[in-house]
This record gives sequence, C-alpha cells and structure tokens, in this order.
Amino acid sequence: MSIQEQYRSRAKELLREGTVKMVIGYGAGTTPLRRRPIFITSPDDADRLVLDAACRTNLAGYLLREGLLADQKSVAVFLTPDGVRTINILAAESQLATEQVIVLGFQIDGENARQLEGTRVADFSGIIAERKKKRKEQPSHEVARKLEQMTSVERFSFWEGEFSRCIKCYACRAACPMCWCRRCVVDNNQPQWVNTSSHTLGNLEWNLVRAFHLAGRCVECGNCSEACPVNIPLHLLNRRMTEEVLTAFDYYPGADEHQEPVLASFRKDDPETFIL
Amino acid sequence: MAKIGVFVCHCGENIAAKVDCTKLVAAMESHPGVAIAHEYKYFCSEPGQESIKKAVTGHGLTGVIVAACSPRMHEATFRTACAEAGLNPYLCEIANIREQCSWVHSDGEQATRKAIEITRSLVEKVKRNNELQPIEVPVTRRALVIGGGIAGIQAALDIANAGGDVVLVEREASLGGHMAQLSETFPTLDCSQCIMTPRMVEAARHPKIRLLTYSEIEKVEGFIGNFNVTVRQKARYVDMNLCTGCGECIIKCPAKKISGEFDCGLANRTAIYTPFAQAVPNKPVIDSGHCIYFKNGKCKACQRVCPTGAINFDMEDELVELEIGAIVVATGFQVQNTALYGEYGYGRYPDVLTGLQFERLASASGPTGGKIQRPSDGKEPETIVFIQCAGSRDPSKGIPYCSKICCMYTAKHAMLYHHKNHDGNSRIFYMDIRAAGKGYDEFTRRAIEEDGAGYVRGRVSKLWQENGKLMVRGADTLLGRPVEVAADMVVLATAMVPQSDSKELGKTLGIGYDEYGFFNEAHLKLRPVETATAGIFLAGACQSPKDIPDSVAQASACASKVLALFSREKLEREPVIAQNNEATCSGCWGCVLACPYNAIEKKDLTDRAGNLIRRVASVNAGLCQGCGTCVTFCRSNSIDLAGFTEKQIFAEVMGL
Repeated sequence: MSIQEQYRSRAKELLREGTVKMVIGYGAGTTPLRRRPIFITSPDDADRLVLDAACRTNLAGYLLREGLLADQKSVAVFLTPDGVRTINILAAESQLATEQVIVLGFQIDGENARQLEGTRVADFSGIIAERKKKRKEQPSHEVARKLEQMTSVERFSFWEGEFSRCIKCYACRAACPMCWCRRCVVDNNQPQWVNTSSHTLGNLEWNLVRAFHLAGRCVECGNCSEACPVNIPLHLLNRRMTEEVLTAFDYYPGADEHQEPVLASFRKDDPETFIL
Repeated sequence: MAKIGVFVCHCGENIAAKVDCTKLVAAMESHPGVAIAHEYKYFCSEPGQESIKKAVTGHGLTGVIVAACSPRMHEATFRTACAEAGLNPYLCEIANIREQCSWVHSDGEQATRKAIEITRSLVEKVKRNNELQPIEVPVTRRALVIGGGIAGIQAALDIANAGGDVVLVEREASLGGHMAQLSETFPTLDCSQCIMTPRMVEAARHPKIRLLTYSEIEKVEGFIGNFNVTVRQKARYVDMNLCTGCGECIIKCPAKKISGEFDCGLANRTAIYTPFAQAVPNKPVIDSGHCIYFKNGKCKACQRVCPTGAINFDMEDELVELEIGAIVVATGFQVQNTALYGEYGYGRYPDVLTGLQFERLASASGPTGGKIQRPSDGKEPETIVFIQCAGSRDPSKGIPYCSKICCMYTAKHAMLYHHKNHDGNSRIFYMDIRAAGKGYDEFTRRAIEEDGAGYVRGRVSKLWQENGKLMVRGADTLLGRPVEVAADMVVLATAMVPQSDSKELGKTLGIGYDEYGFFNEAHLKLRPVETATAGIFLAGACQSPKDIPDSVAQASACASKVLALFSREKLEREPVIAQNNEATCSGCWGCVLACPYNAIEKKDLTDRAGNLIRRVASVNAGLCQGCGTCVTFCRSNSIDLAGFTEKQIFAEVMGL
C-alpha cells in the first residue's frame, strides 16, 4: 500500500470511529504540482486526500479558525515535524490544547513522503530534539550567507529593494500559523505605529515588526515566502532571528508544549550582550 | 480645547547659559494648544511655584509643562504644586532641558533648538494625558534584614525596639559577621567581642525579632509594603529545639582537620561545629561537605554521644515563606583574594597574613589566645612589616577604590603589636594615611608618636624568604631611596570587596550594583540608604567599604526609613499601571510570564448564561508597578500603560 493509501485509510478510520470530527490534509490543486488544504469531515471524502512531495504547506494554522476547537472535539492534521513544533508553540501560547490534536505525521525526503510514527505531539519529541541538533550544525542558506557578508549598508539596501515590491497584501500574515492575534498591530490605528500605505518605509516597518514578532516562534516552515505574491524571501529574516535565539539562548521554538516563550521568560544566566 | 501652560526654568545659569530661554518661550507661545509660556530663574522656588499655581487657576490651564531639570529631581514638586492649584497632578509633565540638553551641549544655538523640540514633544504628550488617581496599597509591618553582622543587627534592633516585626536572616551558622572576628576596634580600642556579643544576644532574644541563621534568600517577589520572600533554611542536621549546646558532639567528631573559616585558616575545626565559642545561636551545625558520614556513610559519632538525640542526618533544607513590608540589605563584604598579589607571597609563605588573620592572632578569643605568634613556628615576631593598599587603589588589579578601613586598622595593628611586644619593631608601607573620622587622626598620631609605628611612605615591590626571614623590598619615596626590611611577619591590608555572590543577590532583589558588585544607592548624597527599588534599603559595607561607626549609623538610618514606612496605614502608589484591552487580547499569557511582579491574572470572559467565551489577561492594580514589560511584549498592542499610553508616546515622538 502506498503511503497515500495508508494515510487515506487512517483518516477514514479516525472519522468513522468518531475519534476526530475533521481531518485537515492536502488535496489536489489547480496545477499538477500544487496542493491545497482540504477539510474532510466524512469518511467518504477521505479518498480526496493527497500525500506526496508537493505537500509543503504547514497546515497547523488552520486549527485556530475561530470556533473550530471550541467544542472540545479532536481534529486530525497532516503535519511535518515543523508542523508538530507549530502545534507545540500554539499550545505553549494557550491557543489550543494538544489533547484535541491527532497528528498524521510525515516527512518529505527528496521526492518521497515518508511516514512518521506517532499520533500525539508528544510522540515526536525525539525527532524534534534531533532537528534542533541538526539546526545548530546546519550551514547557512546560500543567500543568507551572502547577506551576512554584506556591510550593514549593503544589507539595508538589499532589503529596501526587496521591500519596495511589497504591496502590503498581508498574505504572509494570513499564511503564517503564528499570526493568530485577534487584532494585528498594523490594524491598530490608535496610534498608527505601522504605516499602512505600501511605500518602502511602511513596508520596512511592517516586515521588520513581523520578523521581531516571530523571533523565537518561527519554525521556518516557509509558508510566508510561499505565499508572497511578489517573491520577497521573507523566510531569510525569520531564519536569522531563529539563529539569534538559538545561539544566544539555546532556544529552539516548539521543542515541547510547555516551552516558555523566549522573549517573555528570563533566566539569571541569560547573556546580556545586547545591552550596551 | 487644550490650554497648556509652559514654564521655562533658567535653573540659575544651568539652563539659561546654554539655552536661549526667551526664544524657547516664543516658540512655545506660537505652538497650537499652548495658552501661556513664561520663563523664570528658579521655578522650583516658592515664588516660582506660586506663579505656576496662579497661572493654572487664572488661565484655567488643562495641562502644565515645566521645562527644567530631570523629572527625578522635581517632578513631584511641580505635580504637587499643580494639585494644590486644582489640576490633576498627572496633567503636569517635565521637559528635561538640563541633564538632557543644556548640560551636555556646548553649542547654544543647537541646544536651544533641541530644547524647543523636547518641550514641544512634551506639549504634544500632555495634550493626551488623562486625569489619574493614586492607588492605595496596604503595608505589611514586618521588615526583613539580610545579614547578621553589626549593620544587620543594628537595623534589626532599631526596628524591633520601635515595635516593628523583624526577620533577621544570616547565612552563616551564627550571627556576628566580620565584627565578631575582630580583636580591638579603632579608635577607642574596645574589644570587639565585648561590644558585639551582647548585641548578638539581644537580637536573638528580642521578642520582635525572628532569627533565621544558616539561611539564604531564595526568591523575592512583590513590591514596597508587600514583598513575598522565600528563605531557604539550610539543613543543619542538628535539631535546634533538642540541642542544648553541650558540645559533646564537637569533642567526639573525628573529622578534626578542617580549616576553620572563623579563624581565617589559622586554626582547625571539626565537621560538626559552632563557628566560635560565643556563637549565637550557640548550637552546632554539621558541615556535610566534610562530615565523614556524608562522605562514606559511616561514623555517626556525634549521634551516638548526643544526650538529647538532636542529631538528624535526614534533615533537609526548608523553604520559609515570609510576608514582608521592607527589606534592609546588610550583607557586608569579603576580604579580597590575595592570589592577586603573587609578589607579596601570600599562600607561599605562612607568615604572610591578611589583616583579618592578624585580627584573629591579636584576639583574645583567637587561636593563640591573643598572643602574636608566627603561624610557621609559633615564635613571637621581632619585626612586622605592614603593607597598606594591598589591592586597594590599584586600578591595575581592578580595584581603583579606597577600602577606607585599612589605614586605621593597620595603625591599630601596629599599636596592638607594640602593646603586646614592647620591643617589637613595626614598619608600615603606605601611600597616604587616610584618617578622616572622629578621633581617627589622633589615633594614627598616637600610633606613630607613642606606640612606635614606623611609617615608610612607599610601595613594596618584592617579598622573598631568606635565612628564615621575610625580606621586604620597597621604596621610601620621601627619602627617595630603596629600602629593604628583614621581617618575621608581613601583614597585608587587603582590599575590601563585595561578597562574591552579591550580584546574584542584587538580581534576586531587583536592586542595582556597580561594576564591583557593591549595591547602588538611589542617590549618593541625598538618598544614600535607599535603593532605586522602593522599600529596599542598604546598610553597611554591601554598599561601599565602611568602618563600624559608619555601618552602624547607616543601619540606624535604614531603620528610620523602614519605620517611616511602617508608620503609614496605607501607601499611595503612582497610578501608572498597565491596562489590558480585553477585546483584542488573545490570551497567550506572554505578559503573565513576562511580568516581574506577578501582577497579571487570567480572567474568564463569559456570555450571559455563564458559558466561557475566552480567557484574557487582567492586570491587578495593587500589584502592577507600571514597569511596562508586558506592554513591550504584547504583540497585538492590547496592553497599554496609564500615564504613558501608546497614544501619548506616539504623539511625543511625532512632536519631535
């Protein structure tokens, strides 16, 4: 049985038994290499599920749709290890309870989707710990390395160039599973801290504020860059923030559901290198 | 419609010499919303304040800006003046054009421009200020005194004698601190034990003082009047209620060769021990690090001989929770690690001692019973060299400050030595003699003129052993020639440094400390016993090097501050507190974690039928200190700070 068939039958079973009220997974998209999220509530629809190397989107954020989890019933979601980390962060930030989440875990290895053992987020702690270790050793992305080598003036003009294309559509915010605020700071106009018009300054303000808000929370799923209609490499900003918190505080977001937010917690041995 | 009054203070010449105040007034007069703008030489003076009050009532002002010195200086002054004129005090703001402008700029024209910007931005802020009402909080009339040395004991006794409850916490097994180790004390030469031990007993017996020895501060939460403190009472392994202090256990303890801390390593102690004979409480403690039972599971000799069965090897640390209204920090000092001065041979030559070790030698309760003998062979030294400033006033060793007590105690050492050994010869290498204090200069003069203290002005460069003598080479800078002295003993007046963990304690308490680890006072001259954290006070050498008279004086000053606090029924607190917008709060609880005062609670939002809709953050006004940490953390800007709302700050920034 192919992995896709296995997961279809698991989904069918979960729905038939009533273990979950919904399965959030991937369905066929508009083009052969595109997948779109689908929300299955009947076992008969489980055959619409697709699982292959094109399933890249992090689906965790859909769990926060208003009211979905309010009835205390469970929902199953297709998740990569980074998706599981997302669930951990959302739980740590009190946005959901992990008891309501059944994980259909998988991993993309090159051209293939591979099955991951486990049904609860806690079952993946070993895999996540492994990923943290790898993340520390992982060499910088090629473009990121280039950026590091630039002077601050060059780097600023690089981002100025990128952000000049931004049209403030907020697709990054909509796609990001971490952007769950009831009211985003840009929508606050009393006072209007962030300029809403899409000129370079306003764009810089928005994107830098978002990057700061993701520090210690981003799992580097790439939803933001995927969603950006003008192809701004937003993930590079977030990767950089991830590296900062990893080296400064040995903090890997989403390690478990009780992890305290890095910017809200304090240890006496925290480095204070940023305090002048 | 805003009617703002702007009052530009010259501060004598402090501001007016750089900033063109007339120009500043003219600029403000034309700013929208400003009803009047005046200048005056000293607005903080009586006529100055009166003119502000008159303007408030006469013009019906809705806001006041005083462009003057730092708000730390006179914000309270001007807010009180406004309140007296019937204007809510939180509608008065200070534009700091002294510390942040006139004092730091040399170009008058640019300084004037900056002063205009600063003042204008504050005008924009004050237009958006709201009337705020002070918050009342209760006061717990119990003081915590940290440190049971002379400063801590004095503060505890003063507070307790005035009727306040005191918890006195000492981390060693006995009260006493460094003063209990001293022999005689300058400048009167009264015996330290004789004046100290009665105080220790008094503190221990006082019905208002709860004594927690062998205990350390674990956690401090809360704020002035309402601290919650957790103290860790370390396991003594001796039941204090059963122990009678008979000392049988100490006699029988087979682990006898442990270097004794109280005698600075000049004598040994056992693993179960009382730090010194006059200890308070005079009951032993087991040093589990050296106890044979704790090391290899066998022995229990003490348990066998104890007639009351007081020894309990299963004892564990206990956490004691305390409700406290005010805290006095009196954690004292340490003697600097002499390893820094390899050239003086400390540690290599047994007859090179620190000043504190010499105190033990000279003390009647010391290992030699007060006889000054060489640790190496027990001989009485014929010549002693004293080296002052061994560490202090030496930036190259990281201690540029003066330890303040060494000049005096070195003179005392030479004097004591002369009293005990009339033929003895003392040579004191010094940089300066600093003897400022009542009876101090007379004391050093007496040491020189009557007690044969031989002062040599200059530094010692090298020390080595030769034919059983310690050869000291230095310079006599008054005669301009090198000197060499063959000594039998060398005493180093080592620097006074903060406790090695003082920075940790500072973080636990939330008080500031300097680069060395001495705690910072709120204002060196005008608020020397307060810290920047309300309700926490400093006594003794934990703030800076101090002698006994200064430490005792400061401890009593602390007590007066604490008692002033305890004399109030309620405390009025600034209403500068956080407020949460429940409509936009997502309940992520980042603020709950970030809040250093545990002031944010979780609140259920329910529908009319009582069903839970959401949970949101809710700020406890009594606990919130208005630090703003939650405001910066909240990603959705749901939390705002009264008096410094985002709208106000934004207007202030945009006013620039």
